[in-house]
Amino acid sequence: MDLLQSFSVIQLANALALSSLLTILASGLALIFGLRDVMNFAHGALYMLGAYLGFAVAAKFNFWVALAVVPFLLAGLGVVFEYAVLRPLQKRAHMDVALITFGIALILGHVVNTTWGTSPLSVAMPPALAGAVDLFGQPYPAYRLFLILVGFGTCVLLAAWLKWTKSGMHVRAVSQLPMVARMMGVNTDRLSLFVVCLGTGFSGLAGVLAGPYLSVDPSMGANILISCLIVVVVGGLGSIGGAIVASVVYGFIQVIGSIVSPLMAVMTPYLLLFFVLLWRPQGFGRGRVA
Amino acid sequence: MTRSPLNSNTGSNKFLGYGLVLILALCGLAIPNVVKSTFYLGLFINAIVLGIAALSIGFLAHQCGLIMFGAAGFTGGATYLFGIAVMHFNWSVTTAAIFCLVASTFISLLIGMVVVRARPLPFAMMTLALAQMLRSVVKITAYREVTGGDDGLTMNWTGNFFGLTQAELARPANFWTVAWLALCGVMLLAWWVGHSRTGEILRATKANEERMRFSGFNTYVPRVLAFGLAGFIAAVSGLLLGLHTAFASPELLDFTTGANSLVSMLIGGASVVTGPILGALLYTVGQDQFGASGHLELLTGLGVVVVVLAFPKGAIGFLQSGIDRFTGRKHASN
Repeated sequence: MDLLQSFSVIQLANALALSSLLTILASGLALIFGLRDVMNFAHGALYMLGAYLGFAVAAKFNFWVALAVVPFLLAGLGVVFEYAVLRPLQKRAHMDVALITFGIALILGHVVNTTWGTSPLSVAMPPALAGAVDLFGQPYPAYRLFLILVGFGTCVLLAAWLKWTKSGMHVRAVSQLPMVARMMGVNTDRLSLFVVCLGTGFSGLAGVLAGPYLSVDPSMGANILISCLIVVVVGGLGSIGGAIVASVVYGFIQVIGSIVSPLMAVMTPYLLLFFVLLWRPQGFGRGRVA
Repeated sequence: MTRSPLNSNTGSNKFLGYGLVLILALCGLAIPNVVKSTFYLGLFINAIVLGIAALSIGFLAHQCGLIMFGAAGFTGGATYLFGIAVMHFNWSVTTAAIFCLVASTFISLLIGMVVVRARPLPFAMMTLALAQMLRSVVKITAYREVTGGDDGLTMNWTGNFFGLTQAELARPANFWTVAWLALCGVMLLAWWVGHSRTGEILRATKANEERMRFSGFNTYVPRVLAFGLAGFIAAVSGLLLGLHTAFASPELLDFTTGANSLVSMLIGGASVVTGPILGALLYTVGQDQFGASGHLELLTGLGVVVVVLAFPKGAIGFLQSGIDRFTGRKHASN
């Protein structure tokens, strides 16, 4: 099949829709890693919890309420996560903390399964976005366009905060050289509380946004976690810009690869991860070494 | 120094210990005569299959400090290799089994040459990525002919494996002998390598790689070999599953399948070879007790958190320190 023929605006938009979900999640993961040096294996489970909470709130009120409320609920969970897990375990080996977050992922999975059951659920699209819009002469689901806008809009806001505010500068400083930043008087504990809440809140946001786009099911967390790990590692650990670029690249590989060759779509992200971990551990951004 | 699992370090005690293990191994063969319930025998066989996979992770964790998150790729991959050899190459079951073990070990060595260079966290991610990659490849529709796609690969073979036909292998009472002997074999192998010079080099490298290199040791080759051995042990687990169930499904390659053996290893503890097996037994019994009520995941999650926090050496480490306190023995921890 000719690549150029099959490649259309629609596919481009599909790739961006997938990437925008990934960027929101991956930037949260990258933030937490940058500040706390923790690979959060519970991130996928938090995203799943966000999607289910979104489902519940959307069923009771409507989608917009869910979009506004759920990120704050998850951010609240982030406070617990920070105080109960990350702070007491600062001195433990990275692997131990990673394993504990993995245990937390299992617990969250159980909570979701017992509360909502294991069968896939679907969230109705908000009526305002249920239709299609005209995208360069072709109809395209309005919701996906909204997803792209919200996803990248969030990331632009995040990047602006990191770039132009004092607290954002502190976050970048701690991500690059934690010891030096602490010596210069940055309060890493206070910063990390905020950043962890932001990260978990973002996973809630991604979960709610994913609801009407993908189906809500118990395996969604594990599936996206792997993609997120790849994106964060390839983009450079702790680097937000790298994570954004990597998730866009990832989305394109997935969507274009599925047209050209399914084997390529499946293999490329993993091979990229291998390559980065072995030969370019700082990633393609200016990240830190894992 | 590592302690032998028998608490016996010297002289005649040592032979007493070896004799005791031999007697235990022989007694194990008679378990189907004691446990008549097919259900419980099947449960124990599941525990053995899971335990061998956990041993593979535990071996690597204890000897190299590397934790394999994607063990499912190595166990499930072996099951698939066996299935493909039986179904598509039309090989006899024994040839296919040997091929499965040899090929898996060889592939593990090749992978090991790349991944053992990484530090623990990247290593964990890379093995996880490998398992996921394999799972996605198996599920590709274009390879349905070979792998069975989402439906999995059902195997049929004629001929005997150590005198057992396919129908007999599927029966827990007959399969027990194979599973038990395989378990004894891999435990012995892991114990022997752990106590060999290579094992000592591996643990010293885990403690301080730079110093080992500086002292003139090659720290790379032993780790590749350890990874190969872990791959072999995992392949034994996958092969046993293939022989017993005659079925390979993409579920075998799931993240959660690897998580089961990882959790078993953590709960049991990896510092001695019996640890992961004990963990797998606890896990399988727990699965039986709590699986139906749906509380298994919760307990597993809590178990992981509690074990990592409070008992870094797992149940076996806890038992050992209890015994040591009781007998008043002291030994250097490792």
